[in-house]
Amino acid sequence: MTLLDFARGPALEWAAVIFVVGLFWRIGGLIFLARARPLSRNRRDDLWRGGWRMVWSRFVPNRVFRDRISLQFLAGWVWHVGFFVVLLMFEVHILFFEGLFGLSWPALPNTVILVAAAVTAGLLVMLLIRRATQPVLRAISGFDDYASVVVVLLPLLTGLASYAHLGLAYETMLALHLLSVALLLVWLPFSKLVHVITMLPSRYVMGVKFWRRGVEV
Amino acid sequence: MTEVVTKDELGEAFAMFYGMAAAIGDMVEPAPEMDDAERVQRAKDTFLHGLDGTFALQLDVCVHCGACAEACQFYIGTEDPAYVPVRKLDLMKRVYQRELSPLRWLHRLTTPEITADDLRAQQTLVYDACTMCGRCNLVCPSGINISEMVHLNREALAAAGLMPDELRFMDDGQAADGTIFGADADLFRFRIEDLEQRLGFAIPVDKESADVLLVTSGLDIHLFRDATGGAIETLTHMGIDYTLLSDAYEGANFGLLSGDVKVQKELTRKLTEAAIRIGAKVVIVPECGHSFPALRWGAAESVGKPVPFDVMTVSEYFGRAVMDGRLTLEPQKHEKPIALHDPCKVGRWGGVFDEPRAILKACGYDLHETDSSRTYNFCCGGGAGNFLIERADPLKRAGYRVKMNEIEKTGAESLVVSCGSCRMNFEVGKVKAGDTMPVESLAAVIAAHLPKTPKEAAE
Repeated sequence: MTLLDFARGPALEWAAVIFVVGLFWRIGGLIFLARARPLSRNRRDDLWRGGWRMVWSRFVPNRVFRDRISLQFLAGWVWHVGFFVVLLMFEVHILFFEGLFGLSWPALPNTVILVAAAVTAGLLVMLLIRRATQPVLRAISGFDDYASVVVVLLPLLTGLASYAHLGLAYETMLALHLLSVALLLVWLPFSKLVHVITMLPSRYVMGVKFWRRGVEV
Repeated sequence: MTEVVTKDELGEAFAMFYGMAAAIGDMVEPAPEMDDAERVQRAKDTFLHGLDGTFALQLDVCVHCGACAEACQFYIGTEDPAYVPVRKLDLMKRVYQRELSPLRWLHRLTTPEITADDLRAQQTLVYDACTMCGRCNLVCPSGINISEMVHLNREALAAAGLMPDELRFMDDGQAADGTIFGADADLFRFRIEDLEQRLGFAIPVDKESADVLLVTSGLDIHLFRDATGGAIETLTHMGIDYTLLSDAYEGANFGLLSGDVKVQKELTRKLTEAAIRIGAKVVIVPECGHSFPALRWGAAESVGKPVPFDVMTVSEYFGRAVMDGRLTLEPQKHEKPIALHDPCKVGRWGGVFDEPRAILKACGYDLHETDSSRTYNFCCGGGAGNFLIERADPLKRAGYRVKMNEIEKTGAESLVVSCGSCRMNFEVGKVKAGDTMPVESLAAVIAAHLPKTPKEAAE
């Protein structure tokens, strides 16, 4: 079995199993924890409206915070969008998903994907450096924070190298790309990357809390 | 409006009260002995009791982006990374990760147990450097409820016998006699009689039934008599069936502020049962920011069932009366613009924003809003009992400066507040910073704009 066979065979398969089981374990564990239910009267009803409102409103910082955090939000937005554009709109990835799920959709031109990947990877490197050097971020960062950036960065870098035929032989680089994807799948349920699942529910419960108290956020 | 306290009297009372608050450190008894293992166990038990699925979800979702720092006036005022809000949850997160998280089997390999020294170090973070104002909750991209989790930290430290001396003194005092600063029933009656003489009418006390129960606080009894006096004068003017109660007059709740849940619930239960006893439809809490959440969100919890009355703060009750046309105020020509401070527990955590503004508009004021107003308002810098913690003074001054800079930027020449401890913090902050902006009570402002009676008009 070559490295590439291993990467696209057992490595990805086991990673997918760990990904699914890990996510169920972590999210299920959170769902089954008891939740406090208030007895006091709501100031406003239709609580779902407050939750739903905050799910959307928190995508953009309020006016009063913009001077202080706009760049950070913008960088976050750009790399998240870039990552998903590369993941979901690259022709080769779509073929991969079609083979897996039987579904396909139109791809974006390779040039656009290349630029998106390069910008995303560049931003992630900058954010990693920022995390290591900015006093606030240093004070609150642990292994998970640094490792998660690296784990997200690796598929981008190896993907770019494979596409551009840089570095090692193409097959080896493609194998490394697939292995980095496997690592991402294994890492996600056990790290802060799980926020891709938990962030919107967290916003929702906070929006409900404020709404119940008559506050729109 | 009848002047219930002169400027000189207020100045003298302020000096006396300030001295009394500053002397707490000398009066407080030593903290009860407790060995470190018991402290840790009690803190962990408290964390685990308070950590529900919602808190767990929110502890898990943090991506450590640091945005919360940019909303916190203690960080903005000091630029010290120690005060980044989410960092204040680290200890609690360790307990969660080791004991409750679905991944606890993994976290136990990498996450150390909390220690008594960790708990001692946590004291400054969750008492001195956080007023639980909740502004950080508004910037967090994950919508994490940092401030309420800081309160759970206060509860854990209180259980571990590690609340700051000043708050322990207040909490013990209120556990013993139900009130604060020694404002006992005798002093309450004295103040009522004093107000009766100045207002010129009898104030209803201890009626067996009434539509409205008016609550005051030790701070108002000692110091801010114009706040309680203003509420009484306005209720009387409106012809409301109200009463004060000599066994349930204290709205302050240092159980809530200190994190002593038992005392918090007991104080709230006492007020709740008194309101039910007299058949009150509305309880008006005084101009005391935290007395509002203590009763508004805590009354039903204290008796374990929904309660048959509404809880409103002074600004809310009279503001709604103005908005509904039940209270007409006499606008006056105010040459100088004013600013309004929304107390965090009443505004951001209670939704009371339009009501005080309706009052000020009806009084004819030119209100200049701060850049961060209403939901996004900055704290006065000394909320949640911080105004009493002596060692927190540099932090309070930093927080005050951030707030006062915004107020000064509006061009306002006076400030209206509807919270006694905010008012106290502004007054102390002004003295220490050499600022001169007058700070007024909203309740007193309302009373000053009541339409004159024919007799007053003739005079």
